[in-house]
Amino acid sequence: MLARIGALHLRARQLVDGFLHGGHVSRRTASNVEFADFKEYTPGDPLRDLDWRVAARSDRLVVRRHRAETELAATLVVDASADIRTGSAGRGARPPLDDGSKWATAATLAATVAYFLQRRAEPVGLAVLGGEGVRWPWVPPRTGAGHLAQILGVLAQLRPAGRAQLGEGLQSLGQRLRRRSLVVLVSDLMEEPSEWGPALSALGARAADLRVVHLYDPREFSLDFPDAGRFWSPEGGDPLPIDPAAAKSPFQAVVSEYLDEVRGTLGSWRAQHVLTPTDAPLEVAVGQILRGLL
Amino acid sequence: MSGALLAPAALALGVLLVGPVLAHMARQQPVRRVPFGAMMLLRRLVRRLERRRRIRDLLLLLLRILAVLLVVLAVSRPELRWPGGAPELGGTGAVVVVLDNSLSMDLRDAGQSAEETALSRARTEAIDLVRGLPPGTQVGAVTIAGTAERLTPTLSSDPGAVAASLARVQQSQAGTDLRGGIREARRLLAGQGGEVVVFTDEAGPVAVPAATDELSLLTDQGGALVPRAQRSEDAANVAVVDARYGSGPEGGSVRVRVANYGPVEVEVPVTVELPDGTEITAFVVIAPGDTAEEAVTVPRVSDGGVGLARVQDGRLAADDAFAFHLPRVGASRVLVVDGDPGPTPTASEVYFLERALAPWGATAAMQGGVLPELTSPSGISALDPEEHRVVFLANVSEPAPLAARLIDFVRTGGGLVIGLGDNVTAERYNGALSLLLPAPLRRVRSLANPGEEGVGTELPDVGLDLFRPFARGGRTAFGKVRWRRLHTLEPYDESDQVRTLLRTRTGIPLLVERRLGQGRVLWLTGTFDRDWGDFPLQAAFMPWVQQVVRYLGADTGGGGLRETGRVGETQTVTLPEGVLDVSVTGPGGAVPAQVRGSTVSFEPIKAGAYLVETPGAPPLAWVAVNVDPQESDVRPGPSLIETAAEIDPERFLVRLDLGAGLLGGALLLALLQALVAARRREDPTLDEDEDEDVDEEDRLAS
Repeated sequence: MLARIGALHLRARQLVDGFLHGGHVSRRTASNVEFADFKEYTPGDPLRDLDWRVAARSDRLVVRRHRAETELAATLVVDASADIRTGSAGRGARPPLDDGSKWATAATLAATVAYFLQRRAEPVGLAVLGGEGVRWPWVPPRTGAGHLAQILGVLAQLRPAGRAQLGEGLQSLGQRLRRRSLVVLVSDLMEEPSEWGPALSALGARAADLRVVHLYDPREFSLDFPDAGRFWSPEGGDPLPIDPAAAKSPFQAVVSEYLDEVRGTLGSWRAQHVLTPTDAPLEVAVGQILRGLL
Repeated sequence: MSGALLAPAALALGVLLVGPVLAHMARQQPVRRVPFGAMMLLRRLVRRLERRRRIRDLLLLLLRILAVLLVVLAVSRPELRWPGGAPELGGTGAVVVVLDNSLSMDLRDAGQSAEETALSRARTEAIDLVRGLPPGTQVGAVTIAGTAERLTPTLSSDPGAVAASLARVQQSQAGTDLRGGIREARRLLAGQGGEVVVFTDEAGPVAVPAATDELSLLTDQGGALVPRAQRSEDAANVAVVDARYGSGPEGGSVRVRVANYGPVEVEVPVTVELPDGTEITAFVVIAPGDTAEEAVTVPRVSDGGVGLARVQDGRLAADDAFAFHLPRVGASRVLVVDGDPGPTPTASEVYFLERALAPWGATAAMQGGVLPELTSPSGISALDPEEHRVVFLANVSEPAPLAARLIDFVRTGGGLVIGLGDNVTAERYNGALSLLLPAPLRRVRSLANPGEEGVGTELPDVGLDLFRPFARGGRTAFGKVRWRRLHTLEPYDESDQVRTLLRTRTGIPLLVERRLGQGRVLWLTGTFDRDWGDFPLQAAFMPWVQQVVRYLGADTGGGGLRETGRVGETQTVTLPEGVLDVSVTGPGGAVPAQVRGSTVSFEPIKAGAYLVETPGAPPLAWVAVNVDPQESDVRPGPSLIETAAEIDPERFLVRLDLGAGLLGGALLLALLQALVAARRREDPTLDEDEDEDVDEEDRLAS
């Protein structure tokens, strides 16, 4: 387990260092009380903000104004349903975290974002939807290296299982969030948008900045399978006998229609949709997720 | 049309139908299992394809079942049979041509010349057929308009003569007697077998079915029917099928019924033509295959007779006009000369006579019947032979001033009735009216003492025209008439000129007829009032007076008898007694007529008004003759072939073996199902049960 946590930490650090290469510095390393400008004193202004030096030199009362403090609480929501462990390389019950499966990608992305925010001293939390093998599916947002280790530990222990129940999970999350939180949902979204779409209102009520990492395996969306077979879902249900070669064309129409629905649902809540194939470089996805935070 | 299976046992192969059903149920199931993370999308795909796949599967099942069914049917050799195979002529050595020259055969197809009718075509074909017969063939010919008629009394071996007789066949306006035609043809063949070639248009619903029994007899006697139908491709016709006169609010009203035997709605002008030349036109719209009625108001005053209701239609001309009777509108004017007016109206000599002549009053008399015009002897100048048909002379004391006019009046056909009374003297009458008297008057004879009833009247002979209406009742009423006084006559002999029509029970002449010229005089030896008897008080008086007027030639409600008839059918009209010289005039002029006893018979060949009359007298009868309305229905009726096929099916059935066609159909279906099956193999959803999916989704959702 420790090895898994270490591997996850290392990969997260490599990714962050990679896209921060070039001397970018976190703005949280300076004082959190940053001067902005002066203004004439008016009754009611706090006296501690009076600039006594200016008053002494010019016999004028002026008040120093500062930029407001902006602590960004972030919550990572990870879909650990059984379906997410499928993919080009994900076959085992606990796949390696670098095998290219949807779960490996999801865990790595979550760890990377957590690491990045921890480096910027932003509080970061974790919510797990579905899955098994973890004691705390909800880790509240905090700062500190120990807290990051706790998040990475949860991700390393998780075994994708069951259904994510995205609708219920997001609804529940909305009740726990601070206002104006950053919410990063990492999921394959393999539940009907009509089921989880309404739950986005709970996040909207908290004015959350929702960024959805929509993971997919390119083989699954293109139905790139050589032979007919009985396709089955790890989440349960009867298998469907499908001839992939014949179904490819109509399936593309279904996929296209589905993606439109997802975009429409997310767009109605101003959520950012980051469509992420499992075979793409993760740096790209991380960059999209963190856009505006650098 | 009917069908049959030549090998019905082959239907047992129907068990093969199980094959495609089993094939349909058997599905190829893939065995490899593939974990898939986007099953939600696959389920969407399956739902999308499910409906299309079900339709295709059902189509495949139907195609396979149908293909097997066709194979099974093909093996059982089905055969279709339907009537329509007109047998070819020849081989029997005896042929009778039946040529329909009824009115409906006058129909012209659209775009053809006036001469090109169904009859002209049939006649040409019949002549060609006869001329083309093998030498030695016995030939006969029959026409079937009105009453079927042989053109050849027996079968002839001279086809040229028969063809010539066929060439002379003219278009008739009479109905179709196909039944009679087959009968005559059968009799010509005399049970020896042979062929009867029928040229007919098969128009209307009646003609062919009516001949069924004769067709059966023909077949039973070894004869064979060879129909040569002359059906019109666009049969249509508009005809007046009825017209009747009735009273209307502003005069008379003629209700005209027009039939449209065509496939489209028509609007045609309907013109009512009255005998006086008056024409009234209205328009009528008639739906296809329907009739429409139009009421046309005609003037109140009319001389009666026969009118025509006419439509404009270019098909059958003869049924475009319909003859109908018009009653005489207006009164027959009768001059009544009162010789003893008396101080009060009831004391007048003619008080009872006047009421018997116009029992419903003068206003009613204007609607028809008798209009009595009362005058004194000096008013005899009002007598107009053109207007007055009858004159009553009642107890006129001095007849001399009237004699010349009365004698001329009677000689030219007028009727005179002379009643006697106390004013009458034998000398004056015997002198002035000797030409009108059956015998000289002798004297007034008293038949009863005061307080006694008087002498009764003998019951009249209802065989006499004057008393014929009383045969149905009222004759005995004459027996109640009592006479207290009568004028006697000198002895006379009965002759054609002088007849005693009524006597008292004691044998005294009471009513004596004298003929003079074209008219006649009736002498009543009693009075018209109650002075000499109680005749005016008895029930017989009024109908007797009315009948006297009718008997003497005036209309009491119209002019002559009113009869109706049809073209081609013999019309018989009963004549008044003693009428021998009768003429019949039709739309084409004089018509040959035959008088037998008290009837005259003639056969109208054209539709229209026929007048039966005797010279110098009012019309004896009007006969409104029209065509057979069945002939107007030119739409093709039951087929002669179909009717004959029911009687002799083997001869007229057309057979079609469907085996090869069914096998071809099965092959085609097999190819079709192969194509559909190939498409089915491309179906991405190899097996799916939507209901189970729904259940699973429900379970997961729950």
